[in-house]
Amino acid sequence: MTSTDRKVNYRPFTFFGGKGGTGKTSCAAAYALALAAQGARTLMVSTDPAHSLADAYGAEIGFEVVKLEENLWGIEIDPEVEAKKYMKGIQEKMLHIVSAAIVDEIKRQIEIAYTSPGAEEAAIFDKFIELMESLGERFDAIVFDTAPTGHTLRLLTLPEILGTWIEHLIEKRKKAMHMMKMAARYDSVLAEKIEEDPILDTLTARRDKFDLARKILTDPERSVFHFVLNAEKLPILETARALELLRNHGIATGGLVVNKILPPEAGPFFEKRREAQEEYLQDIRSRFAGRKILEIPLLDSDIQGREQLIRLSPLFADLDG
Amino acid sequence: MKKDRSALSKIWEFLCLFHHGTFVDKRMAVVRKEAYDINDNLMMLLFGDFLGIPNPISYYMLELLPYMAEDLVPWQRRMQNRKFIIAEKAAQYDFD
Ligand SMILES: Nc1ncnc2c1ncn2[C@@H]1O[C@H](COP(=O)(O)OP(=O)(O)OP(=O)(O)O)[C@@H](O)[C@H]1O
Ligand SMILES: [Mg+2]
Repeated sequence: MTSTDRKVNYRPFTFFGGKGGTGKTSCAAAYALALAAQGARTLMVSTDPAHSLADAYGAEIGFEVVKLEENLWGIEIDPEVEAKKYMKGIQEKMLHIVSAAIVDEIKRQIEIAYTSPGAEEAAIFDKFIELMESLGERFDAIVFDTAPTGHTLRLLTLPEILGTWIEHLIEKRKKAMHMMKMAARYDSVLAEKIEEDPILDTLTARRDKFDLARKILTDPERSVFHFVLNAEKLPILETARALELLRNHGIATGGLVVNKILPPEAGPFFEKRREAQEEYLQDIRSRFAGRKILEIPLLDSDIQGREQLIRLSPLFADLDG
Repeated sequence: MKKDRSALSKIWEFLCLFHHGTFVDKRMAVVRKEAYDINDNLMMLLFGDFLGIPNPISYYMLELLPYMAEDLVPWQRRMQNRKFIIAEKAAQYDFD
């Protein structure tokens, strides 16, 4: 296969999601290669804790952006590294404001929040936003290879859910400040203390970040989510559910990539499998009618480097319609 | 029935206001107390997980720590000592 002249009509932010093992990482990398080949400065981002992007592409990629070839960069987000950076910033700021003794006293609590269930997602999410903000300057397109579905859906709906929560906190803080001001009419020390409110400022800044992320994610001109599935029963059901959920959250969903399709040359031994596959393909075509459906063949070996990705990447030219 | 109750509560409100108006200092103390109470509740929403209450956003709340660290320890002590809270609440409604 050679590269085609067809240009991909890409969005700045493209997400590849789907059930575990369906081929998200391979598809994201093949797609990113297609964009790079047509001259778009492209960044591939992996959020998958297993970090198979490096394996798929066949080069070292780390938790910092590295250049892989002309027009192509890669990064594997490490939530632990990101959370550490975040905490370090907070701790430095804290030492400027409060005594070391107090910092010491609340160390254990910090540890609790730092390892709370949402922490990992939040750390990945912050890095997402940081990378998205670098669009235009360094990159024309960012392609996200996401973790298996459930994880990713939580991640993408984070700004909406937490945005509501933080709005509530801002209201509460305003109310408290209002009461403080009333009390402060007779209390100059208190009045001075509430002259400026870094707490309100911090909450507002965080809310604005969520708002920005939400605006980007729900703008179909800027963001799109493609699903990778295989012609099997469970991935079809999971895809249908995930599409519905993303739609409810206002996130644009694009095409479906049906990966690992057994080709006719698989031979008579696979005939039965191919019959079953044909049935599932029919199901996919009718169930998701109106959507772009891309069929990607199963290669004769696992994808272990750029050479194999390049074979697949021209097929992705059609994905964005 | 409903009407009666709202009339009653109006009278009660009036009595409260009248009372507060008579004792400005006391009133300010109440306002101040209320402000602190709201802040205590806010602290609960921000840092509830420190007391074992799950908080969906606790990771992001860490960035408020530089400004709240000082209040955090006394707040935790207040929250953990429920008796103390009840005593505080009682003092608030002491209209002597
Ligand atoms: N079209 C294909 N032909 C042959 N092998 C493939 C194809 N697509 C993916 N594979 C192989 O299938 C395996 C899973 O693919 P990949 O890592 O891309 O899936 P994934 O959805 O990212 O998985 P995970 O959920 O673990 O992140 C890999 O070993 C990959 O090399
Ligand atoms: Mg993967």
